[in-house]
Amino acid sequence: MERRRAAFQSGLAVFAAAVAAWWLPQVLELFSIINATVYTAMAVLALSLALVWGFGGILCFGQAAFFGLGGYAYAVGALNVGDTTWAIPIALLVPTLAAAALGYVMFYGRISDVYMGVITLTVTLILFNFINSTAGEEWRIGAAPLGGFNGIPATPPLNVPGDPGTPLTPEQIFVVALACLAGCYVLCKLILRSHFGRVVVAIRENELRASLLGYDVRLYKLGIFTIGGAMAGLAGMLFANCVFVSPTMFSLAYSGQIIIWVMIGGVGTLFGPVVGAMLLQALTAWAGTLPDINPNLILGLVLVVAVLAIPRGLQPTLAGLLRRREAP
Amino acid sequence: MTALLATENLTMRFGGVVAVDGVTLSIGERELRCLIGPNGAGKSTFFRCLTGQYRPTSGRVLWRGRDIVGLEPHAIARLGIGIKTQVPSLFDGLTALEGVALGVRRLHGEREARRRALAALDRLGIADLAGATVGLLAHGQRQLVELATVVAPEPDLIILDEPTAGMSAEETAGTAALIREMSRDHAIVVVEHDMQFIRAIAETVTVLHQGRVLVEDTAPVVLSDPRVHDVYLGRPPEARQAVPA
Repeated sequence: MERRRAAFQSGLAVFAAAVAAWWLPQVLELFSIINATVYTAMAVLALSLALVWGFGGILCFGQAAFFGLGGYAYAVGALNVGDTTWAIPIALLVPTLAAAALGYVMFYGRISDVYMGVITLTVTLILFNFINSTAGEEWRIGAAPLGGFNGIPATPPLNVPGDPGTPLTPEQIFVVALACLAGCYVLCKLILRSHFGRVVVAIRENELRASLLGYDVRLYKLGIFTIGGAMAGLAGMLFANCVFVSPTMFSLAYSGQIIIWVMIGGVGTLFGPVVGAMLLQALTAWAGTLPDINPNLILGLVLVVAVLAIPRGLQPTLAGLLRRREAP
Repeated sequence: MTALLATENLTMRFGGVVAVDGVTLSIGERELRCLIGPNGAGKSTFFRCLTGQYRPTSGRVLWRGRDIVGLEPHAIARLGIGIKTQVPSLFDGLTALEGVALGVRRLHGEREARRRALAALDRLGIADLAGATVGLLAHGQRQLVELATVVAPEPDLIILDEPTAGMSAEETAGTAALIREMSRDHAIVVVEHDMQFIRAIAETVTVLHQGRVLVEDTAPVVLSDPRVHDVYLGRPPEARQAVPA
């Protein structure tokens, strides 16, 4: 029953992504398509934390670090290699290795949950400050200047695989982003259905019991944390394709926002954080157009109201309401 | 013959406090051993040293002759040691069947794990709770689910820390019968302070007092030993020995 439901949800996600990929480029203007690609990239980022926090029980304040690393690794790779086909694996590899290294230190170093939050946030802020201080000409990796506060405005977009002379159009990049989102969603579902995923959830439920049953808790946590880091890196790569990479990718504002998206969508769910990320991104964009009002005030208000009105988040609350309606 | 589990001069200090003080004991295959003592005797600390949750200050813990001090709890569990903690330690968000099966899944395939998990729940008389979410169960039921979780992977040795804490008299009697039955196939160490329960199950009893082994013998001998009565009543056993006959 559960397996069938997961398969149905995965199929539905792929179908919805396919419909959006076919329909939206026909009805949206270029600016809106680029915005939609940013929202989709952020949804992948939200999904990465939904997996790590919601199912792995690891409250990571540093998802923005892997997001930024993914973006920068893509930009540096693309500028050096020329063909962005090869920049994609670089964009995935760097944040994956960074997540694995950071995770190894934290999980095998027996760092407690509170300090884990502090460490992940600190690493993000260190990267933010470091990248900010790379403005000089000496700060370049091969052909790619890191650009300090200005970032790398000349980030090349994805090109047709193997053909660096033919960049993808914004519409095609949007389709790629949707495919990545649907792929990540299905991957998360598959992980959670697997034995590995079940042990990860069991560890979230009770670390001691999992350990006393013979499961190496550190290894499983490291595994899910690394997968989350890779997914955040993918989001960074997509983001770099519709905006450009800059130190704000590592900023405290992003670190906090990702947590808010997941909280509002529903911790312990996958679809909720995707919706939460898209809704709040759209809200931020709309609030930015209002005169004399700081969009952050509106976001803060929405967060307070959401926490009070739907403390479990959107998806669990809606699912609960539906169940109550269906009950005799 | 090599003991299944043995400790040699096991000592655990917390700063100036010696919680376990040079404990040496040995448990054989299919032996049912009770470890008793009043509150503060060092039972739980000793339990945590055996299960890898504490690294002892000195001494050795031997599993089939191999020193296992320093191994992580999961590595100790993988040797074939099932561990039940004092407060039921369960996966509250999972169903009883899912939680029990997870322990077996490490050793067997999905289908076999579910079959063995169901068999364990049935053995404990709680097969009807298979689909129940563990977090919603009563304390006594949670104790039984944890016992099923420990028993299901068929470990060689089962260590139970106060298995009947918070159980009703009926549940306690049922658990005593179950432990006796389980001891036919497994070596079992029961850490307890409930003398009635010990009387119901014990073969060999080791009494801890202030971190040391006070006495070790068969249950009737130990339970009639005046020194054991003294420590349970809070009187130092040395005081009785000092009084001339």
